[in-house]
Amino acid sequence: MTFLCATFSVLLSLISVSWAAESEVIPPGDLADSASLQEATRVLEEEIKLAAKPQTYVFIDLVTNAILIKGRGVELHRIPIERWSGSDLSRLAAPRRLRERPQVNRRKIDHTAVTEQDPISLVDMPTTFTLKFAPLLTILVLSNTDGNPWQWTLQQGRVWWSRLTAWGQILRTGVMSPPPPSLNLTVSLDHAQSLAWTVTEGMPFLIRRPTP
Amino acid sequence: MKRVLLCVSVGLMGLFLVTLVQSSGLPLPKALTVRPATVDPVSLRTLQARYKTLAKQLTQLMPTQPYILVDTARNHLYIKRQDQVMLDALASTGSGTILDKPGDSKRQWIFDTPRGEFAVQSRLANPVWVKPDWAFIEEGLAVPKSQADRLESGVLGEYALGFGKGYFIHGTLYTRLLGKNVTHGCIRLNDDDLKSVYRLAKVGTPIMIF
Repeated sequence: MTFLCATFSVLLSLISVSWAAESEVIPPGDLADSASLQEATRVLEEEIKLAAKPQTYVFIDLVTNAILIKGRGVELHRIPIERWSGSDLSRLAAPRRLRERPQVNRRKIDHTAVTEQDPISLVDMPTTFTLKFAPLLTILVLSNTDGNPWQWTLQQGRVWWSRLTAWGQILRTGVMSPPPPSLNLTVSLDHAQSLAWTVTEGMPFLIRRPTP
Repeated sequence: MKRVLLCVSVGLMGLFLVTLVQSSGLPLPKALTVRPATVDPVSLRTLQARYKTLAKQLTQLMPTQPYILVDTARNHLYIKRQDQVMLDALASTGSGTILDKPGDSKRQWIFDTPRGEFAVQSRLANPVWVKPDWAFIEEGLAVPKSQADRLESGVLGEYALGFGKGYFIHGTLYTRLLGKNVTHGCIRLNDDDLKSVYRLAKVGTPIMIF
């Protein structure tokens, strides 16, 4: 009996190890839950297409709350998501391509300048910015403003302004077209700047959605 | 008038509350999740098998040989082999500055290190820098007509690894600037790290830059 139990335990651990080795790519979540497995499988199918090409891409995992910069399936950089909210996630199955990277105030080289010009760095990157995609998707990246009420007020002002402009457009045109899917991602201030630095025009984004 | 003010106030309060709830990190409503159709046990096993096959496929796309990884935000160059870091070097990458092209106000050079996946295309020992037009213009000098006037030796270090479109991983005389974004797009390293990269990287070694 003891022998049987031991054999069973060894077999069980071997199965778990083999699962773990192949599950490192995208954690499937609950293996017995068909919904999370379906979503993980869908994302894997899309990621294989992206990883087959010489490019870097962004994988937003709303299940493990992380933004991953990846290439050839390898995780190059990880940005933890502190909070997120979104609308119309069911329309986010296909990968998106970034239309425009966040605006950066680039310095012009002036050979007549007497003093040495400061190079651009991470601190020059925006801490709150909107990423627009094709097909339609808007991602608003917010930096964590805990303990900084001024920054919080500025950020909320920006969120309200975007809502007001959307309502204004509806009032002006009289047309209430369905709003595009949107995501609000809150990350730390450093990570927001790091993301603004990393993303480039045309970069593919893949999103894994949570299941209930 | 009072009623209008009251309506506006109530509206603003409502917006404020919505904003507070959104930024509070409260549990997600069900509308923010995706529920596919229910699957029977047989389909579940099929799904598990499919997941395993796909995970294996993705793993096979990952580089098995050493590859170069460049973090342009933090100015680091790594050589990695699977999960193992073989080298972690302080680097200098693109400054992100711009320089107007003379006689054409609409065109300019942007000194970014390109992002994406590349491969080592050439490995040079004792490289000579062929100074491009911008190197002269940025210093307020006239662009020479003769190619010989563009050559400068000793400024790129002992080795250079080209990865296309004139971009190189090379050495530098300005080691105090390592860790900063100061280059015209190339990736600079100190002599020792450059030697290690030259030794470990072959033509075809992938370079991932983000």
